[in-house]
Amino acid sequence: MALKIRSMKDFNAGLMFMAIGAAFALGANQYPMGTAVRMGPAYFPSYLGWGAVALGLFVFVESFLVDDEAPTRTAWRPLILVIGSVMLFAALINTGGLITATIVQIIVSALGGHEFKWKEAIISAGLMSLSVWLIFDKALGLPFKLFPWS
Amino acid sequence: MTELIQHLSLGFSVALSLQNLMYCFIGCFLGTLIGVLPGIGPVATIAMLLPITFNLPPTPALIMLAGIYYGASYGGSTTAILVNLPGESSSVVTCIDGYQMGRQGRAGPALAISALGSFFAGCVGTILIALFGPPLAELAFEFGAAEYFSMMVLGLVSAVVLAHGSLIKAVCMILVGLLLGIVGTDVNSGIARYSLGISELSDGIGFVSVAMGMFGFGEIISNLEEGEAREVNTSKVGSLMPTWNDLKMSFGPILRGTALGTIFGILPGSHTVIASFSSYTLEKKLSKDPSRFGRGAIEGVAGPESANNAAAQTSFIPLLTLGIPTGAVMALMVGAMTIQGIAPGPQVMTQKPDLFWGMIASMWVGNLMLVILNLPLIGMWVQFLKIPYRVLFPGIILFCCIGAFSVNNSPAEVYLAGLFGIFGYFASKWGCEPGPLLLGFVLGPLMEENLRRAMLISRGDATVFFTRPISCGMLVVALFLLAIIVLPQMRKKRAEVVYESAD
Repeated sequence: MALKIRSMKDFNAGLMFMAIGAAFALGANQYPMGTAVRMGPAYFPSYLGWGAVALGLFVFVESFLVDDEAPTRTAWRPLILVIGSVMLFAALINTGGLITATIVQIIVSALGGHEFKWKEAIISAGLMSLSVWLIFDKALGLPFKLFPWS
Repeated sequence: MTELIQHLSLGFSVALSLQNLMYCFIGCFLGTLIGVLPGIGPVATIAMLLPITFNLPPTPALIMLAGIYYGASYGGSTTAILVNLPGESSSVVTCIDGYQMGRQGRAGPALAISALGSFFAGCVGTILIALFGPPLAELAFEFGAAEYFSMMVLGLVSAVVLAHGSLIKAVCMILVGLLLGIVGTDVNSGIARYSLGISELSDGIGFVSVAMGMFGFGEIISNLEEGEAREVNTSKVGSLMPTWNDLKMSFGPILRGTALGTIFGILPGSHTVIASFSSYTLEKKLSKDPSRFGRGAIEGVAGPESANNAAAQTSFIPLLTLGIPTGAVMALMVGAMTIQGIAPGPQVMTQKPDLFWGMIASMWVGNLMLVILNLPLIGMWVQFLKIPYRVLFPGIILFCCIGAFSVNNSPAEVYLAGLFGIFGYFASKWGCEPGPLLLGFVLGPLMEENLRRAMLISRGDATVFFTRPISCGMLVVALFLLAIIVLPQMRKKRAEVVYESAD
C-alpha cells in the first residue's frame, strides 16, 4: 500500500515540531549537561527538545493515517509585504528616523491589501506620521529620532 | 469581614485618586478603541499599548493595563455584534446571536445587555478576588519549589485540555514555547543559551515580540488572505434601551454565565473562550425553544458575554496570589509587572498592599467606566468601523512596530516580531494555536528554575514531587485530566463541549 499524505496540516506541523525540537536538543550539546541534582544549562532544553521531536514524529505519522481538510492556500503577497514592511521599519528606525520608517512601513504594508490606491496610501502615511509625531514625541516624550538628519 | 472592608477602602482610596481614575479611563478608552478594530484581540491590543505604560509608576501602569484589557474585551463584543467579525476568539459566540439581533435592528439592546451583563460579572469577579485573594496568597507562602513546579505542570495540562483543536499539537506548541522561553542567559551558569552569537538574544526573546508577532501580524495576514467581506450594521443600531422582556430573559443567563465564567477563570490554563462557549451551550440546553438560538436570541448574548467577562476578571486570581499566569493575556501581565520591577506572586499583597488593592478596586471602577463610556460612545465606534480594513491594517502594524521597538529602544525586537509573525501565520494555518505557546514561553524559565531548585533540595530524588502532599495532589489532577482526554469517549465529549455551540 502506497503511503499517501492524508493531512497536509499535520504533515507540515509534524515536520516543523521535529525540526524545532531537534535544533534545541542538538544545540544543547554545546552546554554542560550536569546531573539531576545539579542540572546544567543543557538539561532542561535537551529533554524538552527530544520531547518535541517525539511528539512531532507522532503528528507526522498521524498525517498518513487520519484525513483532514487541506490547509488554505498561502497568501504570499500579504505575507511578504506585511512582514517586509515590519522588517523595513526595523531597518529604518535608527538610521532614517521615526517619520521615514512610518511612511515606508505604511505604504509597503498597504500594498499587501486587496485594493491599493496610491492617493489613499499617501494620505494615510501623512496622517499616521502626524499622529505618531504628536503621540510619541509630543505627548509621551519618548526619545525617538524623527528624521534622517535629526 | 472588617479586614475586607479595610482592604477595599484602601483599594478605593488608591483607585479613586484623580490620577489613577484618569489612567483607568485612558486604559479603558484606548483598549476599546483598539479592541473595536476587527481582527485584533486583547493579546495584540495589550502588547501594542504596553509601551505607553513604561514611563508610569507601577500602580497607575497596572491600573491602565487592566483597563486596556477589559476595554479590549468589550470592544471585541461590540465588533462582534455590529460586524459579525469577532475581534477575539471569545467573541465568536457573541457573533452568533448578537449579529442576528443586529440584523433585526436590535443591535442597541444587544450592546446594552452585553454591557450590563459584563458589568454584573465584573462586580462579582472583583468581590471574589477580594475575598479569595488573601487566603490563597497565604497558602502560596507554604509553596516550595516542588509545589510551584507541579502547579505549572497542572496549568499547562489544563491549557491543553481546554484548548480547541488537536491536543497533541497544543502540547507541541507548549514545548516549543518552553524552549523559546529559556533562550538567553542561564541564571545558574551565566551561559547565553541559543543566543546564536547575537547580543540582543542573550537577554532572552522579548515576550512582546512573540505576542505581537503571533497574535498581531499572524492574524492580520490571515485576515488579508480571507478578503474584505464585511457588512456593517451601521444604519440601525436602534434604541439602546432593552425592553422589559429583554431584561427578564437575560437575568437568568447573566447569573449562570457569571457563575460558569468565574469557575473557568480561576482554573489554571483555561480561557475566556471556553467560558463563553459553555455558557452558550448551557443556555441553549435550558431554553424552552432552542431553535431561537442562532436567530437572535438575547440569552445567547447575555450568558456568554457575562461568562466571558467573569472569566477575564477571575483569571487575575491565580496571577495575583500565586504568580502563575493562566492564559496568554495573563502571561502578558506577568511581563508587564516584571518590566515594572514587580515579581508577581503572593508577596505583592503583603509588600505592596496599595498596589494590590488599588488594582482590584480599579477593576470595579474600570467595569463601571466601560458601561458609562461605551453606551454613549457607540456611535463613535460605529463610525470607526466604517473605515475600510485596507486603510486600518497598515496603521495597526505601525503601532505594533513602534510598541515592539520601544520595549528596549532596539530594532531587534521588531525583527523578532516579524519572524514570529511568519511562524504564527504558518502555525495557525497548520492547526496549531498560538495561545499555549505564549503560556509555555512565559512559564519556561520559571519551570526550569523551580525544577532545578526542587531537585537540588531533594538531592536528585524525583519522588519529591509525589511525597509532598500539595504537589502530589496537583500532579494527580494533571494526570487525571490527561487520562480522561485520552479515553475515546471523553475525547468525543470534549469535542462536543468545545465545538458544539459553534454550529
